[in-house]
Amino acid sequence: MKPDNNIPHESARAHCTGKAQYVADYLCGPGDLVGRVFYSPHPHARILNYDLSEALSIAGVADILEHSRIPGANQLNPLAGDEPCLAVDTVQCIGQAMFLIAAQSPEAAYAAARAIKVEYERFEPILTIDEAMAKGNRLAPARQISSGKPEEAMLTATHRIKGNLFTGGQEHWYLETQSAVCVPGEQDSMTIYASSQNPTETQLVVAGVLGWEAHQVVCQVKRMGGGFGGKETQANHVAAWAALLANATAKPVKLVLFRDDDQRLTGKRHPFQSTYEIGFDNQGMIQAYIADMNGDAGMATDLSMAILERALFHADNAYFIPNIRLTATMWKTNKPSNTAFRGFGGPQGMAVIENAIDAVARFLGKDAAEIRYRNFYGGGQRQFTPYGQAVHNNRLYPLWDKLQAMSNYTTRRTEINAFNSANAFIKRGMALCPVKFGISFTTAFLNQAGALVHLYKDGSVMVNHGGTEMGQGLHTKIRQIAAAALGLPTHKVRLSDTDTSRVPNTSPTAASSGTDLNGMAVKNAIDTLKARLTPLALSMLEVKEDAGVEPSLVFQDGHVFVAGLPDRYVTFSELVKQAHRAQLSLSATGFYCTPGLGFDKEEGRGNPFHYYAFGMAVAEVETDMLTGRSRLLRVDIVHDAGDSINPAIDKGQVIGGFVQGLGWCTSETLRYSSEGQLLNCSPDTYKIPGIGDIPDDFRVQLLSGAPNESVIHNSKAVGEPPFMLAFAAWLAIKDAISAVGRHRHEPAFGLPANCELVVREADKLRELTNKPAIS
Amino acid sequence: MNSNQLTFVHDNETVVIDFARSAFQPSTTVLNYLRSLPNHSGTKEGCAEGDCGACTVVLADLNQYNQLVYRAVDSCLLFLASIHGKQLITVENLAEKSQATTDLHPVQQAIIDHHASQCGFCTPGVAMSLFGLYKSENTVDSNTAKHSLSGNLCRCTGYLPITEAAVQCCQHRQEDHFSKEEPRVIAMLQSIRKEKKTRIFSTEQQLYALPFSLDEALELRKKYPDARLVNGATDTAIKQNKTYTYLPQIIDISAVDELRFVSRNADGWLVGSGLCIEDFSLFMGAHFPGLGPMLRVFASKQIRHVASIGGNVCTASPIGDLIPIFIALGARFKISTVMTERWMTATDFITGYRSNALTAKELLTEIFIPDPQPGTLFFTEKVSERRELDIATLSLTASIKLSSEGYVTDIMLVYGGMAARVKRALNTERFLLGNRWNADAVAQASACIDQDFSPISDARASAAYRLQVARNLLFKCLTQTTSNTINLSDEA
Repeated sequence: MKPDNNIPHESARAHCTGKAQYVADYLCGPGDLVGRVFYSPHPHARILNYDLSEALSIAGVADILEHSRIPGANQLNPLAGDEPCLAVDTVQCIGQAMFLIAAQSPEAAYAAARAIKVEYERFEPILTIDEAMAKGNRLAPARQISSGKPEEAMLTATHRIKGNLFTGGQEHWYLETQSAVCVPGEQDSMTIYASSQNPTETQLVVAGVLGWEAHQVVCQVKRMGGGFGGKETQANHVAAWAALLANATAKPVKLVLFRDDDQRLTGKRHPFQSTYEIGFDNQGMIQAYIADMNGDAGMATDLSMAILERALFHADNAYFIPNIRLTATMWKTNKPSNTAFRGFGGPQGMAVIENAIDAVARFLGKDAAEIRYRNFYGGGQRQFTPYGQAVHNNRLYPLWDKLQAMSNYTTRRTEINAFNSANAFIKRGMALCPVKFGISFTTAFLNQAGALVHLYKDGSVMVNHGGTEMGQGLHTKIRQIAAAALGLPTHKVRLSDTDTSRVPNTSPTAASSGTDLNGMAVKNAIDTLKARLTPLALSMLEVKEDAGVEPSLVFQDGHVFVAGLPDRYVTFSELVKQAHRAQLSLSATGFYCTPGLGFDKEEGRGNPFHYYAFGMAVAEVETDMLTGRSRLLRVDIVHDAGDSINPAIDKGQVIGGFVQGLGWCTSETLRYSSEGQLLNCSPDTYKIPGIGDIPDDFRVQLLSGAPNESVIHNSKAVGEPPFMLAFAAWLAIKDAISAVGRHRHEPAFGLPANCELVVREADKLRELTNKPAIS
Repeated sequence: MNSNQLTFVHDNETVVIDFARSAFQPSTTVLNYLRSLPNHSGTKEGCAEGDCGACTVVLADLNQYNQLVYRAVDSCLLFLASIHGKQLITVENLAEKSQATTDLHPVQQAIIDHHASQCGFCTPGVAMSLFGLYKSENTVDSNTAKHSLSGNLCRCTGYLPITEAAVQCCQHRQEDHFSKEEPRVIAMLQSIRKEKKTRIFSTEQQLYALPFSLDEALELRKKYPDARLVNGATDTAIKQNKTYTYLPQIIDISAVDELRFVSRNADGWLVGSGLCIEDFSLFMGAHFPGLGPMLRVFASKQIRHVASIGGNVCTASPIGDLIPIFIALGARFKISTVMTERWMTATDFITGYRSNALTAKELLTEIFIPDPQPGTLFFTEKVSERRELDIATLSLTASIKLSSEGYVTDIMLVYGGMAARVKRALNTERFLLGNRWNADAVAQASACIDQDFSPISDARASAAYRLQVARNLLFKCLTQTTSNTINLSDEA
């Protein structure tokens, strides 16, 4: 049975009535404490000495912990081992945790933080990628992927262009800041109510700092108020801090980061500094591409190496490049460790080639969309990525056809040119951008999921799985999948909080894979239950088993019947009731792992992805070259979500992902002082898109008739890929700037294309263009 | 009624808080108050500085005709004591509950129908902004919906479904349970407001005076010269939130109706300093349309509903949106004490970075806006990274008078964000005075900007950007005040 489409988010009613609970909403009892973290004000320093006595004497302060009070390992990243939970001798970034405060009120905790005295010896910090590169401060050796003969092909290329691109960081700005409540239990146990994309790791990190075993810690996640990758590892930090305080005081501790602190001390999207050289022929066919990408890891490893890998895997975006060399390095700086953020390095890799193709088009005097189209992955040799995986089920061509018609691209290009010759200061720009995004964790073993499904005696169903709900609609889709598998209306199925004591050893909800993995695990659990119920159902239906022919049962509309005989049925609830009386187990686990994945890191060859997701966008902007402000006039998107399980939810991901990408590409600028202090550490100065920034005319469609076989209900992952559709808006701004110089000069470009960049580059082009032509 | 008792309506009941026996301070924010109650955690804290709207609630207040006016406000910036005599409506109140059923409010149903929630954390605030819009009399299309929701950040949905939900439910407004309850609520509020004497809320930590008349306000100003004077308190509340400290003394003049007026005399308009930005914006839109754009993008609806023009002016911020307007209009400020009153120009009122000319006992009570000379051209542009709910990186407000031959006879170029205070570009003005108002003159004059200003680099932009755009804004001003469109590409 196919799922019931377009049902609203399973928590929608709770959301809009204020009933939906988040970690900060757990009501504290009278003796409960609030936690606060005291963090380094310096990017790099030695701790000479400190004095907690005055802070401890403040009324309402219960305890203050330093590193020596950590009973277990002082480590937040057990794998890399380079992120202390509390600083020991030195601090490596502004925002590094040094002390933990438990107090009866936020006021007392704040006063205590003010009263902690520390003496530092300050060192020269490394604050940028350039500085880190100059000092050779690598996080790990460079990674490389290549194919063909890049250097030779570059030498013999018809044309060559060199360039560079800086892409900035991005603050996650989940509406709900990082938060955790830890409740100590009897016999050395702890329950964590976390806002975490990775409850299993939260459980293990907490167990680690407490010096406990995993079975002593239960981590529960009801929902997150947004995650976007920011709560994949760094939610563990807040949970560990709260757990240490709860353990030390033997009281429940709630630790909710104040917005400004969250912005200061958590990691962001990795900034990248990249250089490239692209060789191409007169038609704009790419002959060779050599790119060197350098990421800012911040002070520790976190997920940086996996992010770097994904940057490499997406440096080709949607284009077949016969000769290619991609080199990527992560560099350590004295900033909070950068971390996962929707796209996970993919956007940083893609931005470079998209910017390069623009340069190619401008050099040849052609429309950039045409150059993009020519270089799309195709059949035969043109289907292979630089790492050797074939791009199967390529949707680029149907997307292109649909989008060309929908956006009326050619006509509008003419209109834009006319507008631009009539206006000096206001320019319009338009760009088309494709997205090809690989789906699967590139760390292959993470592609696994577990589920636990209970059928209750009354015929209602409780589904537990390892995925977490952060707004993306995972629980809604899982509920649809479970209801469809059991032939029940969705209200008969409830999703539990994610809970490490119900489904263990889960992978993070990340890499857009939540539904693919957990949906399949839930379906497998249900298949087990159905198999268990089948003999009973057949006997209730009084079906004689013919020799050799197994009659197939159908679960539909609350009925169970033999295929083709819907009139003779038992109700699902009666079947379950009888199964209980027949002493059948009505609970089953399910498990799934993605088949056929493998990648050789040394060789740079293999199949890291189960499949690819595709999307394409055309954006038109109007940019005021005097102030740098851009307005999105129109955006057309066609996105490939396979046979969508819930088109409304999937479109929500596309629209939301686009707008979040738009923020990264335009208004979200991280500014630091020369001492490494983040200047815009609140929404007062850090500007994510507001409702007024969305396109005046915003048209979004899902590609129809594009089933994604071998995935649950032929659906497709949709969380991350649409983020990069925003490149269409970014490149449209570049096109508008370029119009100032009548498209004769390549604007120096970067990301974000904020007001400052626009004004600066438009001004340069105006000067160039207004100079008398030299003939 | 005990003067230390705060009384308001919430959950359809009259709520009394006696500060002598309360864990709250008078300036505890409504957000923190709500979140300490059982079953009222629907109102969320997203930023505690009025920049995200997750904490949006609606205040229903009696107007002069004893009708209820519903306005969305940020509860993180709202002092508890300031809601005396008002109805507080929170997300828990939207649905109509009977014994058997809970009927969602149309704005809630629209959110569900349009898939306008994802993670749900911003949703209560969005619902309350939608409710405020629903209860307003504005016709709603996607532009007005977006404008009304500019104070609500959402990181998940991309806003399109929220916009669609707003348009759909507001285009099919019907009577809701609030309409039915209005007579009862009005009676409750009137009963609270019968007592018209200043309320002095006091705790061990804080004294909070809430006068209802100007005379009382001035007396309080005299009696407590060190008290922080607030109206909307949107600036003061941020400091309280970020430092967890309560001011020892506050005088809140937001209940002084006398300070909320617009009237005319022979030479111009008189505007009460207590007028909220939203109301002032409507007034300016009607009478000074050239200056409207600046006000339209002033903060957000939630903040415009409580922040006062007097408060914005007295903050004396270099990036305050109203100061340049008042300077360019040649406005004069009436400054009162119990015994005295004096008038001074807007220019003189601002004495430095966030400092003004008020002495301890004085109050800015009225603003006089002289009728501009016929033919005066106005221009204003606020430049910010984001269109709405952003603070100016810089701004230009200009008033220009031209002779019939097209020569500049009078000019004021008032820049915000270019110096420690709002400042006129005197060198540039001097250059333009007597010149023709055309592209050549502006191009030459723009070079003078560098003599007028040496701005700083900060969290919003670099000094270089500020200087460049300050020059560029002269061109924008020129194009918008003349019918000539200047086309640089034609010059080449």
